[in-house]
Formats: sequence, C-alpha cells, structure tokens
Amino acid sequence: MRLSLLLSLFLAIPAFAQLKWDTTEQTLKPKPGDREIVATYRFTNTGTTAITIDNVHTSCGCTTAALTRNDYAPGESGQIVARMDIGNRTGHQEKSIVVTTRQNPKSPTVLRLLTDIPQPVVMKPTFVMWALGESPNPKTINIKVTDGFAVKLLKVDSDNPDIKVEVSEIHPGVELEVKITPKDTSRPEMATLLVRTDYPTDNPQTYYAYVKVK
Amino acid sequence: MTAAVHPKRPSFLAPPRDPNEVTLAQTKQWPGTVLWVDARSESEFASEHVTDAICLNFENWTEQFPKFLDRYNPGQRVVVYCSATSCQLSREIADKLRASGVEDAYFLEGGWEAWQQQNHP
Repeated sequence: MRLSLLLSLFLAIPAFAQLKWDTTEQTLKPKPGDREIVATYRFTNTGTTAITIDNVHTSCGCTTAALTRNDYAPGESGQIVARMDIGNRTGHQEKSIVVTTRQNPKSPTVLRLLTDIPQPVVMKPTFVMWALGESPNPKTINIKVTDGFAVKLLKVDSDNPDIKVEVSEIHPGVELEVKITPKDTSRPEMATLLVRTDYPTDNPQTYYAYVKVK
Repeated sequence: MTAAVHPKRPSFLAPPRDPNEVTLAQTKQWPGTVLWVDARSESEFASEHVTDAICLNFENWTEQFPKFLDRYNPGQRVVVYCSATSCQLSREIADKLRASGVEDAYFLEGGWEAWQQQNHP
C-alpha cells in the first residue's frame, strides 16, 4: 500500500527542464580603444531532464552570440558569449540575445547587454547651415577630446576656399573652437571640414563636420 | 522574463515611455514634412521602405550623413524607424542625430512593422 502510494506520488512529479541564469542583464563600459564588448552569460540546467538550446538570436547584426554546445544534462552548466562590434557606435546601446530551448520554445529567455560607448572626439554640432540669402554671420563648432582618450587634435582643413574657417585653440590639442563664415549665401555652397587627429596611432582617425548653404 | 517583454503586458510593468518616441498617429498631426530615416540595413531598405526615407545607420553614417543633410532643413522633424518595437537602432540613431545637432529627431513606436500594419504607402 505504502509502496504504491509512494510510486504514484513519484509518477505525479512531472519531469521538467529549466535553465537558471547567473544573470540575464549586463551593463558593460568599454575602455578607450576597445573595439568590441564581450559579455558572458552563464547558466545551469536546474531541471530534472536534459535541455537542448535550439536557437540563439541577436537583435543586431553588430552582435554575435556563441554557444559551445546545445545539449545540457540536469546539473550541467554552460555559457553564451556575446560579442558586440563597437564600429561607429556611440552613446547608449541596448542589445538583446534571445535564447530558445526545444523544451520551452514559446518561452524564450531574453538576455540583455547594455553599454554606453564614449566618443573619443565630440563635435557640437557636427554641421552648420545657412539658408539661401541669410546673413552670412559666423557659426561655431566646438571640438573636444573626451576625458580618458589620448587623442591630439592636429588640425582642421576645409575642402572649399569659399567657406572661411578660423580655428582657435581653447586647450591646445584637446579643445578647439572653429568659426565658420560663408563668403556668400546667395548661392548654394557646401564644405566638409576634416578634423585630423593622431588617434589611434595605428590608424589615425579623421572626423568630419559639414557646412551647407542651401 | 517573457511576461516582461510581452506586447500585451499590463501597463504597470511598462517602462517609462521615452519622450522621443512617437506614434504614427502623432506624426500625422504634425505640420510640415517629416523627414523619415530608415535605420535598418541597406538590404532591408532596398527591399522596401517608407516613401522618400533615407537609409542611415551606424554602418553607413560617414557616407550617408551628408546625403541626410542635403534633405534636412533646420527645424524640420525627423523620425527614425527600424524593424519593430524590439529593435533599438531607431532610438540609437535618433540619439546620434540629436547629438549631431538635429534637434527634432524622434523614433517611431513599432517601427517598420507598425508602418506596414497601418497600410501606409
């Protein structure tokens, strides 16, 4: 009698598969010069049956997610390594990685990667405009190296001699004020300002600002 | 977790709305012409996009931003969209536009998916 009761109780406990994540959200801050952000999400199968991860999908083409294998027995642990290519990205970024298991395909886990990517050089604004016929009063662009970056602002060139550019060094190599004046606003004009730097040393970056009369 | 990202989750679970997020209905109330920016990949843009939108994202920023400026007039409202609610690119590109000096840069709630559902051209 007791044995049959125990057996029926045992059979009544459903087998289940469950991934327990150490964390599903990470906030990372890249260092100056970093080209990618790497986040590792660890998990353990805390269920009573094996679990298979069928799909790992990232929200952005800039992010990859690598899983060493797909099948995890009860008690086994694994990890997903997400790599986000910084590229031209700046500012606050939120990426998600959706993990789907064969056992719970309708309840995927959403992993989140949050970051704030600093910009080595900040220009405010990155363009100035005059309307046709507008008084050609000078407009200013401020160029500044972000704290923590070993960038030197070398020079600012304009590709159009009809747009006058005066550069003042507020802090030499670190902060510049660029005063821009069109010679004439009676006809459309445009110029690209090339802000040359020495950073990074293996491939120094040029930043661009734009001038338009339209 | 699923409950937190479910589109029909109770409103008390919803994060505070970003002040720069706009709905299609809101954009239709605005006077003047909206400049639409498609933050999706160039291949998705080539396949289909909002009429007169410009493709601008982190990958093509350097070559496309001058083309954006050709179309943009100061004071004009700019609305960025990406694939759907879950994508963050539209918000990120709208942030970058504002940091560049485009004051009225917003991003579209629901993205391209919402645009299509409402049968816009």
